Amino acid sequence: MNPPSPPSLLDGAVSGDGTIALPRPPLTPEDEARSQDRFRVHNARRHGRRWTLLWLLVGPGILAMLGENDGPSMISYATTGATYGIGFFLPFILVTFAMAVVCQEMCMRVGAVTHRGYGQLVLERFGPVWGWFSAGDLIFTNVVTLIAEFVAIRIGLSFFHLGAGVAALLGVVLVVFTLSGGRYWRWERIVLGMAVFNGLFLVAAIMTRPHWGTVGHGLITASPFPGGSFNTLLLLVASTIGATVTPWMIFFQQSASADKGLTPGDLRHGRYDTIAGAVFAALFGCGALIAGAALFGHGGAGFGPADALAGAGFPGALKLVSGNAAATVFALGLIEAGAVAILTISASTGYAVGECIGVAHSFNNSTRKASVFYGANVGAALIAAVIILIPGAPLLSIALNANVLATVLLPVALVFLIILANDRELMGQWANSAVTNRIAVAIVVFISICGAAYGIDSFLQTVHIV
Amino acid sequence: MTAAEQQELVEFLERDQLVLDTSRPVDRMVLSGPVRAALWAFRVFVMVVSAMVIYAFVSQLVH
Repeated sequence: MNPPSPPSLLDGAVSGDGTIALPRPPLTPEDEARSQDRFRVHNARRHGRRWTLLWLLVGPGILAMLGENDGPSMISYATTGATYGIGFFLPFILVTFAMAVVCQEMCMRVGAVTHRGYGQLVLERFGPVWGWFSAGDLIFTNVVTLIAEFVAIRIGLSFFHLGAGVAALLGVVLVVFTLSGGRYWRWERIVLGMAVFNGLFLVAAIMTRPHWGTVGHGLITASPFPGGSFNTLLLLVASTIGATVTPWMIFFQQSASADKGLTPGDLRHGRYDTIAGAVFAALFGCGALIAGAALFGHGGAGFGPADALAGAGFPGALKLVSGNAAATVFALGLIEAGAVAILTISASTGYAVGECIGVAHSFNNSTRKASVFYGANVGAALIAAVIILIPGAPLLSIALNANVLATVLLPVALVFLIILANDRELMGQWANSAVTNRIAVAIVVFISICGAAYGIDSFLQTVHIV
Repeated sequence: MTAAEQQELVEFLERDQLVLDTSRPVDRMVLSGPVRAALWAFRVFVMVVSAMVIYAFVSQLVH
């Protein structure tokens, strides 16, 4: 005999005359907003409108991937190009995005099946200690990364002779503006619209007139392999990994998938969304590297006016080699990359704080109903904005180290994600396959080794042991 | 909003997708001793490496 199923909100009660009286579940405004989005998905599916369905279901994957093509990532790719030229790092970017697809697909799947965010699940399934550890890691790396995003906007704006104050104001105003809708769908579409301009890096790359034969050779052979300082190489390897897979992406995509209302029936489209995001992000990331490679042979990272790269004045240095147009496009790209990342990273902070405290954490709520969620969103951006106004900040160093720190803290987040994605009580038939597990574990080992190698080597150099 | 309208809206959501359902905590996972030890070891390892990265970064800034 089957055990009695637990009572559900939608179970009806059979009245005396045999008719089923359906109870009215207490619908919150968040439910109402989400069900309106789901209504459109149902309609598109029922009428076989494939492209409409795809349009309705894409979002979290593309935003996570293009959001991670952020200011520090693009500076990191461009620095790699300027330091080593086109070679090993071009296919390495593709490999890291392939790793990102595996990790982000798990996030999307867990979010769609459980309808819960990563922070909430870790807290409930593993207890408050692990939950708050995860949220603490995230908030710390997010604030550091947000500083780097404001730095990227500042670098871009400084090309147009605008100062740090404008960068700080622009970032915070953007966050406040996009939060004002009270609908997840509206927020997602605004940020997606902005993220399209990540393609500016590809335009900048084309404008630097690279030798396409060299690009093709580098992609196929992954050579020449970079020489020079081992520590610099480790820094760039670690920061390139940190430029593609990070803790905030895990929090963001799982929570956004749940907030969007994805269900197990949408998993195929969720995968399309994640893969499309990775393809676009890899393409644009390679664009930043190729644009940066224009400086290779001109003194690389040491080239440019007034200590250009040390002050992270990448567009200024590019102007001298590839002209004003390419430099302008690159500068605009940096502003876009920083702006989109501020929105997505702030959102992941809001989700994590809301989920761990156990209060409303959805864009489908009003600011009054979800004040903690929106407060954390704006607060994180505000703290970072204030910090970049401090004069004499080491810009390039902050940008690169933000990614490295994310790489170092990522493996713990990934381990919990893998456990959750294998949790048959939660995931049922949608739990990880054996192949996914093998790949995911290999990714964790690889990222742990890269992060640890850089951390240990840097430390030993700092204390003059090597 | 009428009851009929509410019911219509609910039909587009899965039964475990409502806020009332997602607000109910899922059960705590029972971790075995070795798994707990492995998680803590990994956590300590990551904290040590993070401290090294931060120390090296701050040291570079100071000098």
